[in-house]
Amino acid sequence: MQIAIPLSDNKGLESSISTVFARCPFYMLIDPETKVFTIEENPAQNASGGAGVKASQWMIDKEVAAVICGNLGPKAHDVLSAAKMPTYKFQSGSIEETLTAYNENKLTSFFEPNVDAHAGIQ
Amino acid sequence: MIITVASGKGGTGKTTIATNLARTIAQARKAEIESTTWLIDCDVEAPNAALFIHPTFKKEKKVERLLPVIHHDQCAGHGVCVDVCESNALAIAGGKTLFFKELCHACGSCVLNCPEGAIRETSEMIGLLQQGSSDSLRFAQGILEIGFSSPTPIIRDLKKWIIPQETQPNSTYILDASPGTACPVVESFRGADFALLVTEPTPFGLHDLKLVAELIFKEFQIPSGIVINKSGRGDEIIEQFAVEKDIPILMRVPLSRDIAEAYAIGTLLVDAFPQYKAKFNGLHKKISEILQKGLPKQ
Repeated sequence: MQIAIPLSDNKGLESSISTVFARCPFYMLIDPETKVFTIEENPAQNASGGAGVKASQWMIDKEVAAVICGNLGPKAHDVLSAAKMPTYKFQSGSIEETLTAYNENKLTSFFEPNVDAHAGIQ
Repeated sequence: MIITVASGKGGTGKTTIATNLARTIAQARKAEIESTTWLIDCDVEAPNAALFIHPTFKKEKKVERLLPVIHHDQCAGHGVCVDVCESNALAIAGGKTLFFKELCHACGSCVLNCPEGAIRETSEMIGLLQQGSSDSLRFAQGILEIGFSSPTPIIRDLKKWIIPQETQPNSTYILDASPGTACPVVESFRGADFALLVTEPTPFGLHDLKLVAELIFKEFQIPSGIVINKSGRGDEIIEQFAVEKDIPILMRVPLSRDIAEAYAIGTLLVDAFPQYKAKFNGLHKKISEILQKGLPKQ
């Protein structure tokens, strides 16, 4: 089982979790128990439009079990909830701390998007 | 003759110059048989030239685009539509195809490529075109429907509706473009003979004048001229740029409270201050002379 986490850099387990969902440069796909992971480039980062839709589709195609992210826009939320993908809110801290919180069921679920469309465009 | 009025920066006075120039030309040619002068408001996101022209509209035309409709009962979930969509407007999640209308560019790829033929098209109104006249001036505008974000197809249809393939020598078309230098402005310049660049003597005005001048230089290679609006203080920065780029300054309209007041109540400069008729006639004459001479060799 793998969960997806957006990253703002590529430094293995020391990477910083990105608060941006679809315009981040990398995603970590990690098993929360064994901590076995891969880091992949985000194919949606520079999409001219619909980055949230594309990133969500990518995660669905990768068959991840859940997503932990800081912000989630309306279209990504629509796609992920249609796929019944559990989405959890990242608050702060390292990847390890976040996974511990996830394993202890201490992360809160997204029941609705928390940012407007295009919030991830800098 | 097609003259497109642009500025880069918003609020420099494109509409002021375009409306007054069009009215002046139409009045001067009133007696000429078969001469027509058109003002076409291409700022379809916020058309406002009509506020000064007070036209009576006689004809209307809808602008439509074809949008995909997914027939879920026929969808097998192959996801081909998702792969071919350049706009990321489609997704397959939970065994269902999702469509995001606001992302769709109406390219039709999903319809063509669906192996089940489960996607068909329906037309949807995205804008309205109107044409009419005010005294001897003919007027047309496009209006983008609220909730839509693509003005360019409206401008393209508007121009196609009004401007014939082969324009008559005694027909003049003044196109009032939108601010910026993106697709809607490029579309407003397509086919134009002359670029009339309206600016104000501020660093912002100069900055965006440079952008629009660069667009003309790179994409269109048509002659251009500058009008300095709100002139009187800081004109030097524009003058310096005009000399550098060899673009003539054709006219100046001073920064004046009287002009602002006339504008604010929807009065044309040439109606409020008759001396401006001569100035706008002069502007038209200068543009005609430049066009007769042709573009100077680079």
